[in-house]
Amino acid sequence: MPLTVHIPGALREFTAGNSRVQIEHSPATLAEALSALFALYPGVRDRIATEQGQVREHINIFIGDENMRYTGGLASPVFAGSEISIVPAISGG
Amino acid sequence: MIAQVLGHYRIDAKIGEGGMGVVYRAHDQVLHRDVAIKVVNKDARLDSSASQRLLHEARASSALAHPNIGTIYEVGETDGELYIVMELVEGRSLHAMSADAGLPPESVLRYGVQIASALGRAHDRGIVHRDLKTANIVVSAQGLVKVLDFGLAKQVGSSLFEGPTRSFATVEDASSVSGTLPYMAPEILRGDAADYRSDLWALGVVLYEAASGRLPFAGRTGFEISSAILREIPNPLGPPVPPGLWAIIQRCLTKEPIQRYQRAGEVQAALEAVQSAAIVSPGPSTDVSPPKTTVLHSMRHAHVRKGDFVLLVGTTKGAFILRSNTRRTGWEVGGPYFHGHSVYAMAYDGRGGQRRIWVATSSYWGTLLRSSDDFGKSWTNPRQAPIRFPADTGVSLKNIWQITLGRPEEPNRLYCGVEPAALFETGDSGETWSLVRGLFDHPHRARWMPGNGGLALHTILLDPGDNQRMYVAISAGGVYRTNDGGSTWTAQNQGIRAMFMPNKNPEFGQCVHKIAMHPSRPERLFLQNHWGLYRSDNYAESWIDIANGVPSDFGFAVVMHPRNPDCVYIVPVESDEFRCACEGRLRVYRTRNSGASWEPLVRGLPQKRAYETVLRDAMTADSFDPVGIYFGTRSGQLFASRDEGRSWQKILEGLPAVVCVRQALVEDASASPRPTLPKAAVAPSPPMKSRSKGNRGRPKR
Repeated sequence: MPLTVHIPGALREFTAGNSRVQIEHSPATLAEALSALFALYPGVRDRIATEQGQVREHINIFIGDENMRYTGGLASPVFAGSEISIVPAISGG
Repeated sequence: MIAQVLGHYRIDAKIGEGGMGVVYRAHDQVLHRDVAIKVVNKDARLDSSASQRLLHEARASSALAHPNIGTIYEVGETDGELYIVMELVEGRSLHAMSADAGLPPESVLRYGVQIASALGRAHDRGIVHRDLKTANIVVSAQGLVKVLDFGLAKQVGSSLFEGPTRSFATVEDASSVSGTLPYMAPEILRGDAADYRSDLWALGVVLYEAASGRLPFAGRTGFEISSAILREIPNPLGPPVPPGLWAIIQRCLTKEPIQRYQRAGEVQAALEAVQSAAIVSPGPSTDVSPPKTTVLHSMRHAHVRKGDFVLLVGTTKGAFILRSNTRRTGWEVGGPYFHGHSVYAMAYDGRGGQRRIWVATSSYWGTLLRSSDDFGKSWTNPRQAPIRFPADTGVSLKNIWQITLGRPEEPNRLYCGVEPAALFETGDSGETWSLVRGLFDHPHRARWMPGNGGLALHTILLDPGDNQRMYVAISAGGVYRTNDGGSTWTAQNQGIRAMFMPNKNPEFGQCVHKIAMHPSRPERLFLQNHWGLYRSDNYAESWIDIANGVPSDFGFAVVMHPRNPDCVYIVPVESDEFRCACEGRLRVYRTRNSGASWEPLVRGLPQKRAYETVLRDAMTADSFDPVGIYFGTRSGQLFASRDEGRSWQKILEGLPAVVCVRQALVEDASASPRPTLPKAAVAPSPPMKSRSKGNRGRPKR
């Protein structure tokens, strides 16, 4: 069973309009899942991560309902059927 | 020695031997703990002053409380025996661990971060290791790194060259011998004093060895090794070593100290960046035709034609394009483009017949440089951010503060000033950008401090009479100038006060808000400081105060009159704490005698409860006669004067906070060939440092 990444509207021009992307090959960690996403849709990468590979400060990534910042960051485990959401943080003026 | 008592330490066993002496495992009979004791050889040729220095250095090192530094507990002398009592570190030396084919990159990065952290602490306290090597680094079973022998190597002087130091980490490693010469930086071999950057060279050797199991500079004799260190480039490390780690090692192993990292903290940050980047590195792309351009169908556009006049307005929530004709009375407004994104920099590039608007956008999703060739109807939306810091810097782009066109004779060249403070350049109309290393590697950079808006390089000025000379302004770093096309930069702040520092006249660190130059008088610059209004008449060699009759010398914007090099416009604000128009009266000030006196220009501007702020790039001048001046405020109002500032009209209100205003007269696009030719036909512009010297004379007015 593949894993699903939900793509926010602002990034859909980089995913051929898809709001959901299925990741096959059972990634074990969030980092692997994102790498697979970036391989499919490279334009997403620089929007989510800095050039040094850190998730941008005001972007949150959820695995199910949990923010990855509290589940081990990019090393958080993911499973078949996991639902990953990319969401801009509530911040700014 | 075994079973003897030295001070209150009972010697239990010999565990190693080094250039300085023998190391024993001992028991502290007072605190009841096991320690390591290094008993300094009597024949280590320490005269009494040298042994005093050793004592001094060891005491300084003992103050280095850091989890990755082997602690020195005590230095003592009993019955003529000089000894150093240290934390007993159980583990394996990095030398032994790396011996076969090196360690996995993840381990090298993990240990490297800890070693760099230890060096960072020591360097902050003024202590240089001077003998960093894998044999002096011990890794515990839990993966905790301890760097040993801090500050002890200096005093043994020539013995470093004569005999190898032996690890005393554990009994297991006692026999491991590791020469020190292979870790020595070229400057030491040339006879210069070791400094903290020599430690960073040694760290590069350590990382290379840990990653590959080999030394970067090897040879059968000391002469061969020295020769390799001085002249050779190490064999590249390929997979599984990630390119980022190899880049860091190469930078540590740069022959000239000035071109290495300047602080251990920078190496640490770069290693940490590779640690995390390694897990989100993109895989091979299957996306062969990505969207490059976004066409905006539902947006209201300004319909710009040849001969029109445009204003480009960047705000904290998007960009606007205003169109008018040469009379500049009615305005058609296009936008907001990139709504919700902050736009701190815009530029119009009409060189070579093009009609290109450049814009820097910044949002949750990062900072991008984009362009439009049709006045906003479509914009590039690059898949990969065009301006990005290289992996070895460990730094990420936060914002683009300035887009500056290159000289007219180089229509494909542009510069960007960014935050964190750095200069980028392109020689191919923005297809590829590169970091100007001469400035980024400046030793001052580590001591620049962020201002209220962040640590930003916000102003770039090119000398029209000398194609090798340019200036940048950094908040808060000051003014820097290059006379050699960007290879080297010098701080040019003599006479500029830094009110927020204990030394009010430092060499650098001033919070410069803006500098301006008139093309007909390139030796003359005007400068608005964080407190202080200045002029230089000698290419920024020195600055004089020209705050003669202004209500405050605090402010941001400085705009030159396009024809009169004695005429400058500013908008003072009350103070550092209250960055609003003085007394609630919005007044532009103008000098027509290069700062000898200033006059307020108020007709048409609000003079009651107008607590407005005009930010550093929010004012501009056109080239009509009489000249038009335009500025936007933080409250979202846009004002214009068509008569050199004598009277003003509000041309737009209700905008988000205005941070950037630029102007352009639209020429005929077909008048001359476009600057970007097909790649095969373009002779690429050489990088900054290799361009030839230009005519140093003044251009004709």
